Amino acid sequence: MTGDFGGRGRQGMSGSKSVEVKRGMIFYIQRFSVHDGPGIRTTVFMKGCPLRCWWCSNPESQSFSPQLIVRDVNCAGCGACVSACPKGAVTLAAHLGRRINRALCDDCLLCVDRCLYRSLDRCGTAVTVDEVMDNIERDLPFYRNSEGGVTVSGGEPLSQADFVEQLFVRCGKEGLHRVLDTSGYASGHDLERVARQADLILYDIKHLDPLIHRKATGVDNAVILENLEKAARINGALWLRVPLIEGFNDAEEHITRIAELGLEKGAEKISFLPYHEGGLSKSRQLGVDYPFKGIRAPGDERIAELAGIVEAMGLKVSIGV
Amino acid sequence: METMQSMSSGKRPADKVGCLSPEELRKKVVSRAIRNIKRGHADDDSKRGMFRPEVRLDLQRSRLMTESYRETEGQPMVIRRAKALAHILTNMGIFIGDYERIVGYQTAEPNGIFHPIDQNWKSPRRLANSEEGKTLLDEEGRKELDKLCDYWKGKSISDRHQAALPPDLKKYWTYEGTFLWSQLSELGVPNYEKLFKAGLKGIVEEARQRMDELDREIPVDFKAQKDFLEAVVISLEAVIKFAKRYADLALSASAKEINPPRKTILEEIARTCEWVPENPPRTFIEAIQFFFFIHLVRYLEYSTLGIGVRVDHLFGPYYEKDLREGRINREEALGILQLLWIKLNELGLVYSPTVSSVYGGVASLQAVTIGGTDEEGRDVTNDLTYLVMEAAESLRLIEPSIALRIHDNTPDEVYSRAVDVIKTGIGYPSLFNDEALIPLYERWGVPHGEAKSYSVTGCVYIEIPGKNILRRSVGYPVLAKMLWWALHQGKDPKTGVQFGARTPDPATFKSWEDLLDAYCEQVKFFFTKIEQLERINNEILAEYLPRPFYSALLDGCIEKGKDCRKWVYPSMIHHFAQVIGGVNVADSITAVQKVVFDDKLVTLPELIEIMDRNWEGREDVRQACLSAPKYGNDDDYADRIAAEVMVRGEAAVEEVKDGFGLSHRSDGSAVSATYGLSGDTPATPDGRRDGEPFSDSTLAPAPGRDKKGPTAVLKSASKISTVDTFNHLLNQKFSPKFLTGELKPAFMGYLKTWKELSVPHIQFNVVDRETLVKAKKFPEQYSDLIVRVAGFSAYFVDLSPGLQDHIIARTEQRLV
Repeated sequence: MTGDFGGRGRQGMSGSKSVEVKRGMIFYIQRFSVHDGPGIRTTVFMKGCPLRCWWCSNPESQSFSPQLIVRDVNCAGCGACVSACPKGAVTLAAHLGRRINRALCDDCLLCVDRCLYRSLDRCGTAVTVDEVMDNIERDLPFYRNSEGGVTVSGGEPLSQADFVEQLFVRCGKEGLHRVLDTSGYASGHDLERVARQADLILYDIKHLDPLIHRKATGVDNAVILENLEKAARINGALWLRVPLIEGFNDAEEHITRIAELGLEKGAEKISFLPYHEGGLSKSRQLGVDYPFKGIRAPGDERIAELAGIVEAMGLKVSIGV
Repeated sequence: METMQSMSSGKRPADKVGCLSPEELRKKVVSRAIRNIKRGHADDDSKRGMFRPEVRLDLQRSRLMTESYRETEGQPMVIRRAKALAHILTNMGIFIGDYERIVGYQTAEPNGIFHPIDQNWKSPRRLANSEEGKTLLDEEGRKELDKLCDYWKGKSISDRHQAALPPDLKKYWTYEGTFLWSQLSELGVPNYEKLFKAGLKGIVEEARQRMDELDREIPVDFKAQKDFLEAVVISLEAVIKFAKRYADLALSASAKEINPPRKTILEEIARTCEWVPENPPRTFIEAIQFFFFIHLVRYLEYSTLGIGVRVDHLFGPYYEKDLREGRINREEALGILQLLWIKLNELGLVYSPTVSSVYGGVASLQAVTIGGTDEEGRDVTNDLTYLVMEAAESLRLIEPSIALRIHDNTPDEVYSRAVDVIKTGIGYPSLFNDEALIPLYERWGVPHGEAKSYSVTGCVYIEIPGKNILRRSVGYPVLAKMLWWALHQGKDPKTGVQFGARTPDPATFKSWEDLLDAYCEQVKFFFTKIEQLERINNEILAEYLPRPFYSALLDGCIEKGKDCRKWVYPSMIHHFAQVIGGVNVADSITAVQKVVFDDKLVTLPELIEIMDRNWEGREDVRQACLSAPKYGNDDDYADRIAAEVMVRGEAAVEEVKDGFGLSHRSDGSAVSATYGLSGDTPATPDGRRDGEPFSDSTLAPAPGRDKKGPTAVLKSASKISTVDTFNHLLNQKFSPKFLTGELKPAFMGYLKTWKELSVPHIQFNVVDRETLVKAKKFPEQYSDLIVRVAGFSAYFVDLSPGLQDHIIARTEQRLV
C-alpha cells in the first residue's frame, strides 16, 4: 500500500534542495514525562498527523504547520495585535473584547511577537536535532536514576521519519533509552527504519474493524496492522496502547481480540488510555472544531473489568501509563 | 541486675499492646498551633482567635517562677535560675492520662500552653486581654496574670533589652518591613548518648567532682564556676525528684486501678520513673521516658522550639536489645512511638500577634531526625527507622515532622517507605541531603566526624547534638526589601528618611553586577543592625537567663564550669537568620539585566519610578519584567545570576560577626514568613506587585514562575552552591497520583537524582489543588487536612485565608 501518509511530501519541511541540517516540526518538548514509557522521560511531540481521531487529546498536533494559539484569559486588551495583523483578522471592541477572524488569519504569527501578555502564542517550531538534544540532555541524571529516557510522540512521528530517525540515532549514541509512540500509519519502510532505532515501541490500536477505524480516524487500519507485524519482528520491545472510549472500542469481545493480537505479536503489555477531555480547551484556543463532545471514557469499574480480562489471558495491563 | 530480672519476668508484651488505636490517640491531641492573625503590620484574620478555643494559658510556671524569684533576691543569678526550676518541678501540678505509658506534661491541664513570663510578659498579657486571645484565660486568670506581670516589669529579658537599646538602634528593633527581629527562638540538642550512659546521677557526680577539684585549684573565676556547678546540681536533682513524683503518682493510681492491664501499665510507669532519668535506661521504654523528661524540662527551663533527636540512631540499640531479650515486639514498639508522638504534640507556646504572622500554623516546631550515617560514615538505618515512619503515617499529626537524612548508601527501602508516607500528604519526611550539607558544615568549621552526626530540630534548623550550640534564630530578614532599599539608595521615597545604607545612585549602574554590589551593601548594613540588637540581647541573656540545666546536658560546660551562654562550640553553627525573598531578589536582578541593560526597554530610574507606582499604567513594563528569564526553569541566564546573587548575598551576611567572632549566616527555615512578611515590601523588579507573597522557600521558584516542570526546578536549584551559601529549603507540590502505583519508581528516581544533584533539601505538599480549594470553602469537613507550609506541617484550617491562597497558588507539578 502506498497511501498518502502526510508528512514530508505534504509539508516540504526539508525544502526541495538538499539542506545541511534537517529540521523537524515540533509543538512541545515535555520534561518529566512519566506516562509515555518507563521512568522519567523527555517527550518530543512532533507536529502533524495524517489521522483525525475523534478523541484526539492534542488537536494542536494535527496540522503540519505552525498555528496561532489564543488564550483569551490573558488578553489585556492593549490592541498591539490589531495593528500587527496584515490581514485585518484581529479586531478589538469594548463590548466584545479581542476577536480573531480565523477565516482571514493565515497563521503568519506576526501578532505573537507583539503580544506582551502571552495571550497569543505560537504552536509549532522547526527545530534541529541539536536543538532537541540540548533539551534532552538537560535531564540525563533523571533518566539514569529512573530507567527513563526519550520518547518521540506526536502527532505522528513517522510522518517526519528522517528527522526522528536522526534524533534516535543521536540518542542511541548517548546511550539513551528510546521510545517511539506511533499510530503505525506510515510507509512500511519509514516504520522499519525508525523502529530499528527504538528500544520500545508504543503502538496504538484504536479499532480492529476497518470501517469503524476509517470512520473514527479518517484512515484505514490495514496498513497499521501490516506495520504492526513489521514492528513486532524488530528486536525492540512492544507495548500496545488502546485509547478507551465508551461504546466505541470497549466491548469485551473487541478487547479480547486486541489482547490476542498483543499475545501473537509478543507485546509486553497493553496500556489502556481512557479518553480525557484535554483536547477540548486546546481546540478552542486553536479556533478549530472539536465536534465529538459526547464521547467519554468507560467508568473505572468497567476499565478494571477489561483489565481483568486481558490479565486473565496472560498479558500485563496498565491504565493511563 | 535484680531489677532487670524482675522486669523481664513480668508479663509482656502482648497484654499491653494497643491501649488505644491510632484513631483514638489522635483524638487526645489538642492542637496548640498558632493561627496567623496578622500579616506584617496588617490584620490578616484577626476576627478569629489566635488559638483554637479549647486551648488555655497555664499560669503555674509563671506563678511558681515568680514565687521563687521573690525568695531568692540577691543570690547569684545562676543559682536563682536553678532554684526557680526546682521550685517549678517540685510544686507544679502533675497528672497521668488514662491511656499513657510515657508521662510528663508542661502544664497542669491537658489543653494548656505556657508563656515564659521571665522573657516577656507583654505579649501574653496583651493577647489574653484582646479579642483574639480572650479564650486563653478567664477573668480570674487575667487578674492573676496582671499581678504576676507587675513583678516582671523592668525585670523580664525583653524589658531589659529595650531599656538598654540606644534610640538610633531602637528604630531597627521595631519591625517596619525589612527585618523582624525576634526574641523568642532558642534551639539546641542535649548529648542524650552521654546522658543515657551516665544517668543524671552520673552528671551530678561529675559536677560534684569538678567542684572538689576547684576547691584545690582556686581558678580566677572560682566563685562563678562554683555557683554554676552548684546550680547544675540543684537543677538535675530537681529533675530526678520530678520523675519520682510521677512514680509516686503512678503507684498510688495503680493501687486504685481495677482494670488489670492498666494496673500493669501504671506499675510499669512507677518503675520507669523511679529509675530514669536518675539512672541509665535499660530498656526501650526507659530510654524514651528518660528522653521525654529531659525534653520537657528543657522547655520548662527555657527552650522554645525543636527536638533534634536522631530517633533511630539513639533508641535503636535499646529497641533491638529488648527485641533480642524478648521484652518487646515490633507492634508494641510502634505503640510506644505513637504515644511519644502524642506527647510531642503537647508542647506549645504563646507568641505575639505580630510573630503569629510568621509562625502561623506552628505549635512548637518539633522535628525528629532519622537515617544518615554515624561518625564513621556507616548508614544507621535500622528497624526503628521504618517504625518511626509507620508511627507518623498511622497518626497523621502536624508534629513531630520527620527529617530524613539521605546519603550515598541510603537503602532503596528507605526511599520507598518515605515516598509512601509523603504520599499521605502530611508533608514529611522532608529529605536532607548529607552529600550537600556535610561539606557545608565543614566549611563552617565543624570537624568531619561531628558534621556527620548532625540532626535537624525543626524546619531546616541544623544541630550537632550534644555540642554547645545554644542557637537562636535572630529573626527574619526580608532580602527583597533590602534590594528595594538598594534601588532607593537606602532612603524611603515617601518620607525621605535615610533608613538603609547610602548606596550609589541606580542611575549610574551599568549592569546587574552594580545592582548586586549595592544589594550586598544593604544586606551587610541591615545584618549589622541585627547583630547590634543581638549583641545586647545576648549579653542580657548571659547575665539574666543562664541555663544551668541545659548546660549540664552539653559537652564541655561542666568541665569549664561555665554556662552555655558564656562560650561556644567553635564553629559557625550558631545564631542564624531565617531569610526570605531571596529568590525574588535573584529574579529581580535578572529582570533588571534583561529589561534595562539588554533590551533597553526602560532605564533603571524609569523602572524604579514605574515600580514605585506599583506598575500602574505600565503593565507593559511589568509584563516585560515577568517575561524575563526566571529562576526555576533550568535557564542558564536566570540561574547564573541567581547563583551569584545567593553566594554574594551570603558572603555579605557572613562578613558580619557576633561577639564570639563567629559569622552571621542565613537559614532556609522561613516558616510562614514568605507570606506573612511580604506584605510590607512594595513592588519589585521581578514583576511582583506591592505586597504579593515571595517564593515560599529559599530554593523554590517564585509562585507560578516555574514552567518547565519538576526536573527543571531541581536543575536550577542544583546551580546554587550549598557549600558557598547555607542550608536551604525547597518546597515542591505534587499531585498524589505521581507517588502511586506504576509511577512510584519514577518518583524514587526523581528523589535519587535530587540527591545526586546535591540539592540540600526537599519536601512535598502532596495534595490536589481541588482538595485545597474545597477545604478553604468547607473547613469543617477538612479539619484534619495537613499541608506543608515551610519547614513544618500545619492544619490547613488553622491558616488565614491569605496564607491558604498562597499555598493553593504554589505550582503543582501536574500530570500531563
